[in-house]
Amino acid sequence: MKRREFLKKSALATGAITIPYILPTGRLFAQTGSQMAEHVVLVLFAGGVRHQESILQRYLAESQELDIEGNIMYNMLTGEAPELKVVYGTTPAGQQPGVQPISRILQTPLDQQGTLFPEVRFSKAGTGHFVGLSTGVSGHYGVTRGLRQRPVHPTIFEYVRRFTNAKATDVWFVGNGIGNSTPLLNHSEHPDFGYRYAANFFAPNITFGSKGVEFLKGFKVYHPDEELVPIREMQAFLNNSFNLAGKEIPHLYNTDEEKADIKDFIRTTFERLENNQVSFPPVTDNGDLSTIGYTTEILRWFKPKLTVVNMSSVDSCHGSYTSYLKSLHRGDHAVGHLWNFIQTQIPEMKDNTVMIIMPEHGRNYEPNPITDENDWFAFDHDSDANSRRIFTQMVGPNVPANLRVGSELNPVGDAADTVVTIADILGIKQDVLATGLVDFNAMSLFDRI
Amino acid sequence: MNMPISNRLLAGLLAAFLIGGCKEEQYTYGVEDVLVQPVDLSGKKSKTPEQYLNILYANLYQKAMSANQLVKATDVITSIGDKQVAYETVISKFMNDPNIILPTEESMRTDPEAFVKETYQRFFVRVPTEAEKTWMINFINSHPDVTPEHVYYSFAIANEYYFY
Repeated sequence: MKRREFLKKSALATGAITIPYILPTGRLFAQTGSQMAEHVVLVLFAGGVRHQESILQRYLAESQELDIEGNIMYNMLTGEAPELKVVYGTTPAGQQPGVQPISRILQTPLDQQGTLFPEVRFSKAGTGHFVGLSTGVSGHYGVTRGLRQRPVHPTIFEYVRRFTNAKATDVWFVGNGIGNSTPLLNHSEHPDFGYRYAANFFAPNITFGSKGVEFLKGFKVYHPDEELVPIREMQAFLNNSFNLAGKEIPHLYNTDEEKADIKDFIRTTFERLENNQVSFPPVTDNGDLSTIGYTTEILRWFKPKLTVVNMSSVDSCHGSYTSYLKSLHRGDHAVGHLWNFIQTQIPEMKDNTVMIIMPEHGRNYEPNPITDENDWFAFDHDSDANSRRIFTQMVGPNVPANLRVGSELNPVGDAADTVVTIADILGIKQDVLATGLVDFNAMSLFDRI
Repeated sequence: MNMPISNRLLAGLLAAFLIGGCKEEQYTYGVEDVLVQPVDLSGKKSKTPEQYLNILYANLYQKAMSANQLVKATDVITSIGDKQVAYETVISKFMNDPNIILPTEESMRTDPEAFVKETYQRFFVRVPTEAEKTWMINFINSHPDVTPEHVYYSFAIANEYYFY
């Protein structure tokens, strides 16, 4: 391979010394447990999903005092769609807004293909987005962490990289944007983990959106032998002077080959965008759907061991219940597309991937005073009991099919369980638990079945 | 035993001299000792993405980046996890822009010492050490295919450029 040859030459030319990194665990073979699958995709169905419109399929019945029920998440859940006051779909020309529901992608809903924990609890901390996402990726409730602060406790990315000896490009966090400190969730500040075990991160709607077009698209690709070799040689010389002080540009311990691979991915994705080849969901009319489209590109290219993607459009529920319903419906569409893509377009991940879906927290039972174009009330998330109700869904190899675990009277599962569950799937559960750094109640959901 | 007066006087003077001699006049000029190193980088702080981009743009375009561009470019950097990848990609995008202002290859080849000094000053805001200057000049002279763009790119992606 040309790039590899270049890297070898470059290393020789610059006299760079690469010291083999020995895992701090002190083991040659890091993994201790057996794997259930080689890949895990966690969809943080975030933004604050109200239990009534998702799991309970109450549509307008338990929010707007209208006796209309139905399931608007039919890729994920079994149930008939509402027949009246349909506002969550697309808008064909000349028709009522949102009147056309988006066609289902999965013929068999995910709750029949896998296991559903319908009553999971976000048991501690306030129901805020960042703490919710942070709990989802670290398995620890960061009750005292504010925005602009990385999690104190290690994230699942760090556990996976450290305990499975995974490369940086084996572990990805795909953000719906760069607000709410989302980019800070790809690693913690923990001294034993941290950026050397971080996930690679893209907020693809920005990287590949208009801003990316302006500042990235068409970037110069230097010839690997004739140009990059002398460039790297000069860079190495300059860095050798500077490294006396031990300072360097922040990075994630991607190897030179991985960095080149990421740049190739960026360049190729712009090309695929131009040629309409990016695998966006059939309907892509909000940020969550485009994020999922780019996520499929990341999966196709890198085939990561762990991918976490977060969505957030349902948070429009603070001001518009109608918009929230649309986003909920599209979130389901996104999940269906993602699972379908993995099973049909990525042979290496097909039947070898467990997908987990979980909102970061719920939403209030009582509305706020804001009404939308349909005179429907909006809902916030202020840590009431309802906003602590979430669900977790799993599908893939070794996940029992058509199983529901728990009920409203007997809740099973906690938001902090996801990290341990992923660790269990990838065979590092004991390693993660042995750190003592996840919530003391956290368990693998497989152990809760 | 009686000591003569002259001897007593001598002994007294000697004692006074010895005691007084221990006290040496000291002068303080308010100048503190400084450890002189070839390149003192210890006190440097990392640039924020905004600072990095602003300075980079000014170095490459010789004019200030607009506030609007700065916000957008910073967002792009933030949207990529590995900052080395992010910066390298943005810099190489700039390098593809015909509006970028680079020294000519002729000027670099004609007077590599001036070019090297100017490049260090431009990117690192310091003069190169003799060793740095010699190495860079030798490198340029021994690599006929190296262009000012390559040198500028190397400096822009060097760790030192990320600190101020």
